[in-house]
Amino acid sequence: MGSRASTLLRDEEIEEIKKETGFSHSQITRLYSRFTSLDKGENGTLSREDFQRIPELAINPLGDRIINAFFPEGEDQVNFRGFMRTLAHFRPIEDNEKSKDQNGPEPLNSRSNKLHFAFRLYDLDKDDKISRDELLQVLRMMVGVNISDEQLGSIADRTIQEADQDGDCAISFAEFVKVLEKVDVEQKMSIRFLH
Amino acid sequence: MHLFLKFLCETVHGGRGGYPQFFSLPRCHLPFRRSLQTTTTETKHCLLILVGLLLGGIIFGAEEKSPPVMNSDVFFLYLLPPIVLDAGYFMPTRLFFENFGTIFWYAVVGTLWNAIGIGISLFGICQISAFGLTDITLLQNLLFGSLISAVDPVAVLAVFENIHVNEQLYILVFGESLLNDAITVVLYNLFKSFCQMRTIQVIDIFAGIANFFIVGIGGVLIGILLGFVAAFTTRFTHKIRVIEPLFVFLYSYLSYITAEMFHLSGIMAITACAMTMNKYVEENVSQKSYTTIKYFMKMLSSVSETLIFIFMGVSTVGKNHEWNWAFVSFTLLFCLIWRALGVFVLTQIINVFRTIPLTFKDQFIIAYGGLRGAICFSLVFLLPPSVFPRKKLFITAVIVVIFFTVFIQGITIRPLVEFLDVKRSNKKQPAVSEEIYNRFFDHVKTGIEDVCGHWGHNFWRDKFKKFDNKYLRRLLIRENQPKSSIVSLYKKLEIKHAIEMAESGMISKVPSSVSLSEYHEGKIKPLSPTEMENMREILTKNLYQIRHRTMSYNRHSLAADANEKQAKEILIRRRHSFRESLRKTNSLSRERPAAANTKRFLSLPKNTKLPEKLRVRNKTSSRVGDSSDSEMDATTTVLNLRPRAGKILREQRLRQQRPPSEFSMEWKNEVDGSQNGRGEQQEPGSLPQPSIGFRQPLLTRPRFGTLSREDLTADHGLARPVPPPRLVRQASQGERQRSKPENQPY
Repeated sequence: MGSRASTLLRDEEIEEIKKETGFSHSQITRLYSRFTSLDKGENGTLSREDFQRIPELAINPLGDRIINAFFPEGEDQVNFRGFMRTLAHFRPIEDNEKSKDQNGPEPLNSRSNKLHFAFRLYDLDKDDKISRDELLQVLRMMVGVNISDEQLGSIADRTIQEADQDGDCAISFAEFVKVLEKVDVEQKMSIRFLH
Repeated sequence: MHLFLKFLCETVHGGRGGYPQFFSLPRCHLPFRRSLQTTTTETKHCLLILVGLLLGGIIFGAEEKSPPVMNSDVFFLYLLPPIVLDAGYFMPTRLFFENFGTIFWYAVVGTLWNAIGIGISLFGICQISAFGLTDITLLQNLLFGSLISAVDPVAVLAVFENIHVNEQLYILVFGESLLNDAITVVLYNLFKSFCQMRTIQVIDIFAGIANFFIVGIGGVLIGILLGFVAAFTTRFTHKIRVIEPLFVFLYSYLSYITAEMFHLSGIMAITACAMTMNKYVEENVSQKSYTTIKYFMKMLSSVSETLIFIFMGVSTVGKNHEWNWAFVSFTLLFCLIWRALGVFVLTQIINVFRTIPLTFKDQFIIAYGGLRGAICFSLVFLLPPSVFPRKKLFITAVIVVIFFTVFIQGITIRPLVEFLDVKRSNKKQPAVSEEIYNRFFDHVKTGIEDVCGHWGHNFWRDKFKKFDNKYLRRLLIRENQPKSSIVSLYKKLEIKHAIEMAESGMISKVPSSVSLSEYHEGKIKPLSPTEMENMREILTKNLYQIRHRTMSYNRHSLAADANEKQAKEILIRRRHSFRESLRKTNSLSRERPAAANTKRFLSLPKNTKLPEKLRVRNKTSSRVGDSSDSEMDATTTVLNLRPRAGKILREQRLRQQRPPSEFSMEWKNEVDGSQNGRGEQQEPGSLPQPSIGFRQPLLTRPRFGTLSREDLTADHGLARPVPPPRLVRQASQGERQRSKPENQPY
């Protein structure tokens, strides 16, 4: 497995991915072997079916949304770069990164980018606002069948009310960030990738 | 049950008449059971001991003799195997083997460390003549140390259920308990035989060490062998389903007895047998047998554990005690100290080799959770009094240690862990939405972890899997019966839905667009605190749990049910969303039956207008006629399918629904001619391609093969639906389609 992976992934590519995402060499190769094992058609890209084949995602309430997040706008194939780019959002923030160059582009796993990722999971129509509808959809996905629509509606209203500051009855990205400022997003949206 | 107890009393007391009090024993702990369900396991253990104490007191008061003590044969032959079997059967094997090194390290080295440490330090204490203990030799102390270091972390596992503990930690503690029992018994026998020998040479020590390996490995081999035999047997039992559970219990007990007969480790044997059987037998037996096995096993182990604790209570009262302040208190002290030291030192060493190191909190839990239980209790009663003149002293010390750990440590561990967990940020009145956001993040994180295949690949495991698939499964598993609980669940849902929809048309649990768009403009009035509380309560109760990778082990319940219910709901919802999108967007390809025959999967409800649509659009007329007929057959066919279909069926069904919905969305757009102005002639050309790929192979595969998650990947010799490259994706799939207000004519 390991040898096959490294022959297919050239070193320059690994270097590029490393620079863009911040993963280490071994992490990249390990994720590459995962990528190839998911890729049934062996054409170097993953389609939605490949993701749906992961059984645990089928019973994840947000499974569809998560799968969607991997695919850039309008496409149904994602290559390894795109795969890694999405996963990079979940890399833990290391302390030594916080003081790195402030001039360069923000790393993919910064708190703001993590929050942006989460925001995009809510915001399907990409208008940079979470409307009540979108919130309701997500809530409905996350909640059991015992909650009636009215109750869910009032919960959604309450959620919007708590976040909304400019009174447009929708949550913009800035408001989203504000609501979550006390939540330890760095820890909640980080996965310990095996070395 | 009371006959058994009577027998027990008689053997111990040499044939005295029955003790009437004991007739009440089986009945008395039953009412306790009902109230005990609401308490935690630690307090349950405490209550059981108290009950035992009470009983012992009654008997002692009535008879003026020491109450009957648990016969060690009874313990080792009857009470212990069910507990170990239960633990071994429900062990998550994959996680276990991934962490095997660490588990082995803690179990072996840790136990040795504890045993020898406690033994030597107690010996040191004994040398101080002020305590009156000088007649206890080094060997006796070592023996005592070995038996007191038998940690029984079951109580800690109960605490784990409520704290979302690092799964690594869970399997470490769990695995350590199993291996550690075996090692304790080996050490115990070793030192006991040393005590009985007059002179000990160096060669004996080496023989002892070698004996340990022989005993351990031999036991495992016997267990595995008998596990295979059991699996092989169940391959042929499909005509006699009713006695299938019997085989499981029979063979596991047989492995235990056989190992004991050869003086090998029965505990390792039964654990290995249970783990082996679990893998293969599950796939051979029927669903009902499987459920029976699980519940019966839990029942047996619960009963055994209860009995053991009650006996502990009973045996405490009586005259077989000798109290010595120094010995008892130092024993307790050393147990705590050596355990903490041991865990700390070992963790530092093992962290170097681990990919995910253990934190301080983990170490604390492992160390503080080292509760002693029934094993050391029984072992101390096994000591031959001829060799151990101070046996009563040992008994007292052991009982004190057990009581202390069970009562005090058991009850305080949860508050302490919570205390360790406290975040630095102050907890204000949490917003209603916080719960939602937190759960949202957890689901996302779990999902991404699943995508990453978080646990990665392992060379040896892959090799074993290949070997397994090639030889073992062919030999041991009856064809055609792969099963997973989620799959069978899904299957049941399918059938239910088919019937429902056949009878009453589309039932949708998706919130209708109407209610979604109902929106009161204007200010949302601030809610009163009670309303907020209500909301929060509603949320806490109803938000879906995150899928735990391993179900936490609970001796007293099977945790699968809650997860299954949740998975069921999620899957229902997804199916509904598929059907909605299909219905509204006029799926075409899915209605094409396989050219071969009319067997179909339940795909769409009966009362749809699809057949007409098909006729309109379909250029290949031969298929059209089939479609309406096959709609009728859909329900019946589904019911005819075997109760347990492969997971591959499931996945492909999910899969084949999704792309068609994408396609159908495309085609809808194309047919409308709106978006990209493609002509209709492109449709038929692109239609047959995916559908054939979908249908035929699925139906003609008689055996679905074995389906673990990894195997899912191996089984795709089927044509994959490759989206025709000409079609341009207009919209992302799923909910977006659903939520838009539907004005189309479909």
